[in-house]
Amino acid sequence: MAVRDIILYPDPILKTVCAAVPRIDDDSDALVQDLLDTMIDSGHSVGVAAPQIGASSRVVVVDVSGSKLGRNNNHGQLVIINPEILERQGSETMREGCMSVPDYTGNVIRATEIVVQFLDRSGKERVIKASGFEAVAIQHEIDHLDGVLFLDRVSSLKTDVFRRK
Amino acid sequence: MSHFALTIIGRDRPGIVSQVTEILYSIGCNIADSTCTILGGQFAMILILSHPEYHDRESFGDAFAPLEETGLSVFLRTLKPGGEIHCIDRGEICMISVYGADKPGIVYRVAKELGDRRVNITDLNTKLVGSAARPVYVMMIEAVLPEGTTVEEIDEMVGALKEELQVDISVRSITPVEL
Repeated sequence: MAVRDIILYPDPILKTVCAAVPRIDDDSDALVQDLLDTMIDSGHSVGVAAPQIGASSRVVVVDVSGSKLGRNNNHGQLVIINPEILERQGSETMREGCMSVPDYTGNVIRATEIVVQFLDRSGKERVIKASGFEAVAIQHEIDHLDGVLFLDRVSSLKTDVFRRK
Repeated sequence: MSHFALTIIGRDRPGIVSQVTEILYSIGCNIADSTCTILGGQFAMILILSHPEYHDRESFGDAFAPLEETGLSVFLRTLKPGGEIHCIDRGEICMISVYGADKPGIVYRVAKELGDRRVNITDLNTKLVGSAARPVYVMMIEAVLPEGTTVEEIDEMVGALKEELQVDISVRSITPVEL
């Protein structure tokens, strides 16, 4: 249980394809807890991917339930291990920022609705349909597992400074 | 380190960026922020530069003379210390799209209403489209609202402008999401 520092670009781990979690055990559980602690501690974050805290492992946590955009449409706190996006539908542009790339935001087009298959914290197989902001957040975090940053997907770059709430 | 604002404009053709940046590179200038685009038939470059040793216009000597010889206009401004730093705006960020039949005063009237409410325009593009017989004016504004002002209030404000100017205006929040 620990809040970990967010790794910033140009650390090469952010551009590395992460390895699948081989088994659900104490190690994977400790990583999940660190991800949750780090997400909650940052206050404004709605998701963290394992490489952002230095673990090259296919695990992300997402929780948009506390944000204005995701409040009314979410699955609560999600622990997503070895995810695969099975289906994507629709497209929407949202201006994204990332804790690992401070001071940049850019317009990114993402699917509005996705079906994701993953293992939860206990290793149970799950399939959920996410939409709206939650779907955007999941896609952004899963991109981290493939070494893809929002900068690889932006259509225009703005050097807006984040508003931290 | 001293900072400078450089603006360059001239008839568009391939090679302008390479010609400009070769000079900047050879005299040891760093390019910080920059934006370059085509406006009409002209290519316009606006760059914020820094240089470890240059402190004023004179330091550059006639470095830009080759640009002017090829028909580009060059203007260099020396920034006061801190002039390169972007002030942090804390309010909502919104995109305002304005479009309709072309007529005088569209930009001014919209900008006036925003300025009166201390809304800070951070990006503005206009374009004249459509046919010569029926020109359509399009304007895109990105603006930061003062803290406490909501996108809904701006939406209400543009309602009156729509009537007055007989154009379509839409306002939407584009405040970035941090993931």
